[in-house]
Parts: sequence; structure tokens; C-alpha cells
Amino acid sequence: MTPELAERVVRGLKAAGIDFVSYLPESRLIEILPLLERDEAFTVVCASHEGTAVSIACGAALVGRRPMVYMEASGLFLSLYNVLSVGIRCGLPLLLFVSHTGSPGDKFNSATFAGYGARTVAVLDGVRIPYQVVEVGDGIEERIADVVRAASAAKSPACLLLTGEFTAVAEGETP
Amino acid sequence: MKRIECLRLLAPLVTDELVVTSLTGANWEWRYLTQHEGSMNVSSMGSGTAVGAGMALGLPGRRVIVLESDGSSLMDLSCLATLATYQPPNLKVFVFDNEVYSGSRISHRSPTGVRTSLEGIARGAGIEAAVTVRDVAAFEREARAALAESGLRYVVVKVEEDPDARKLPKPTVDYLENKYRFIRYIERTEGKTIFPTLR
Repeated sequence: MTPELAERVVRGLKAAGIDFVSYLPESRLIEILPLLERDEAFTVVCASHEGTAVSIACGAALVGRRPMVYMEASGLFLSLYNVLSVGIRCGLPLLLFVSHTGSPGDKFNSATFAGYGARTVAVLDGVRIPYQVVEVGDGIEERIADVVRAASAAKSPACLLLTGEFTAVAEGETP
Repeated sequence: MKRIECLRLLAPLVTDELVVTSLTGANWEWRYLTQHEGSMNVSSMGSGTAVGAGMALGLPGRRVIVLESDGSSLMDLSCLATLATYQPPNLKVFVFDNEVYSGSRISHRSPTGVRTSLEGIARGAGIEAAVTVRDVAAFEREARAALAESGLRYVVVKVEEDPDARKLPKPTVDYLENKYRFIRYIERTEGKTIFPTLR
């Protein structure tokens, strides 16, 4: 992601009220991380497993924080148990902020990711998690606000899948 | 030592602490012993400690107690690395280790009944305050210290399997009702709105 887009994303998260981020680092959207860590409006917690990150975010939601879990699509598969057994069962609003790795729009798609990308949307549909797929940076602030509102309204996890422009890195750099 | 003996000692020590119970008989016993509104049942194997960590990191001015089991703890060992990294001083984890998967109905032995030490794993992860207690007096000492002092605590409590836990009345409050009660308690005691009014 370009630095400019990363700044817009973080501004959008802040404007939407997100104030707690648990995550496992990944390669496409990582430019947001130093911005989040630098901003005192966010409590930022690095986990070692996406399922742990989801459970931590659920705990934060229960005490009144507005959490987001940042991870790549493979992490969504790994954390689905925690999403279902805590997030959905207890009815907790969480923003799942997911790089849609392996999707057709992923600028660095490869055999490592394609298997996840082909199934991510189907899994979200299957477990009835509201989501939006976003490919272009224009309007990202509004898309973030929409999905945060969806999570809050449904008292449920809701997901932003970011691909296309969000997965582009500077020339000469590899994810 | 039975788990419920420890919980009988712990319950009157809890005032405004938040208590997270995992998928363990401790949940039934805790509900039987206390109606503390700041208790949240997260009956998800492998999630209790991480949910408690999220509460502790999200609300650093409030002590959080987690009542875990050996089987549940073994399902998310990665959480111990996160606890060690952030060392939330307001988080107190009690792992009631009966060395079996009681929920299996055949008391299938868990790895802690073979060679695995949760205290050893926690210390290896970087939680220096990890200890194991094996009698009621030691539990009471650790519980009082955990609630009186600042600092992350990880207390492995070796207990015998107690089939009587299954005979206790089961909670009538489901997860959603528990969530609303818990959140309204937080709203009232922290003076903030978590779930705004409908529009």
C-alpha cells in the first residue's frame, strides 16, 4: 500500500471510532501498522495467532473499546473458530480488517495464496459475516465507516476485504 | 484439593474485578458460588485467557481475573507469548489443572497429566510470575497476593477431577444475556456508554 493510502486508511479507522487493534502482521497492508502504533488513539496489540487476536479483540469489545482485527485472509480461516465461538455467539461488534490475499485483484497473487483467495468470500457468506470487498482507494473512509456501522448495528463481526490498489507496493519492492 | 474449595476462597475476595470463565467446570461452580455481575462466561475452549487479556489491555484501570482449565489453556499456548510481551499488570490468570479432559466423560488424560507443565511453558514464554500451587493454603496466598499487588500473575492450580461439578445447577443465563448484563455493569461502574440507545 502506498504511504498516502495507508494514511487515509488510518484516518478512516480513527474517524469510524476504532480505538483498539489486535493483529498478526502480513505483507500487503503493513504500511498501516507504524501509523497505528504512532497514534495514541489506538491501543495496538500484536498476537502470535489470528485466533488469539480475535479473542483479544472480543475482550476489548466487552469492556467498551471499538476493536479491529488486522490479518491476512489465511488468518481468517485460522481464527474462524474464535470468531464463531466468541464474536458471534456473544454478539460482539468487531471489524475484521483483512488483506484479500489470493483474490484476483491481489497484485502479488501466487500459488501460496490463491487457494485462500478463491474461498474467502464463500466462507464469509457461509458463516453469515457481513463484508465488503474494496479494490480502490477512493472512498475508503466511507467503506470503513459502512462496515464498522454494520458490525455495530448487527452486534457481530463484519469484514473489510482489501485487495487491488491496497495490495500494490512500491516499484522494486516485493511483499 | 478440589477446584470449588479454591473458588469458595476466591469469591469473597472479588469486589469490582472482572471475571472471565472459560469452558470448564469452574464456570458452573463460579455461578453457583456468586452472582457477581462482572462475570463473563466465555465458554470457548482456548479463548478465556485471550479474552481476559483483551479486557485487561482495553481497560487498564480494572483488574481482570481469568478462571481457566488445562485443556483450554493448551488450545491457545500462543496467548502466553502475547501475555509475556505486554505483561498487563491488571491480569490474573488461574488455571485449574485437573490433568484430564473432564468434558470427554471418560476423564481422558490431558498432556499436563503426562509430562507437560503449564508453568514451565508460561515461564518459557516469558511470564516470570508463573507459579504452581498444590494445596488450599498456597492457593489462598497466591489469590490474595494477586488481588493486592500489581503485576501479571499466572497461577497453575493443581486440583483433583471433581465429578460433583456436573451435578451443580446449570446457568440459566445464555451468552447474549450474560454479555448484556456484563456490559451494563461496565457501563454503570465505568460511567460510559458501550451500547448506545437504539434509533
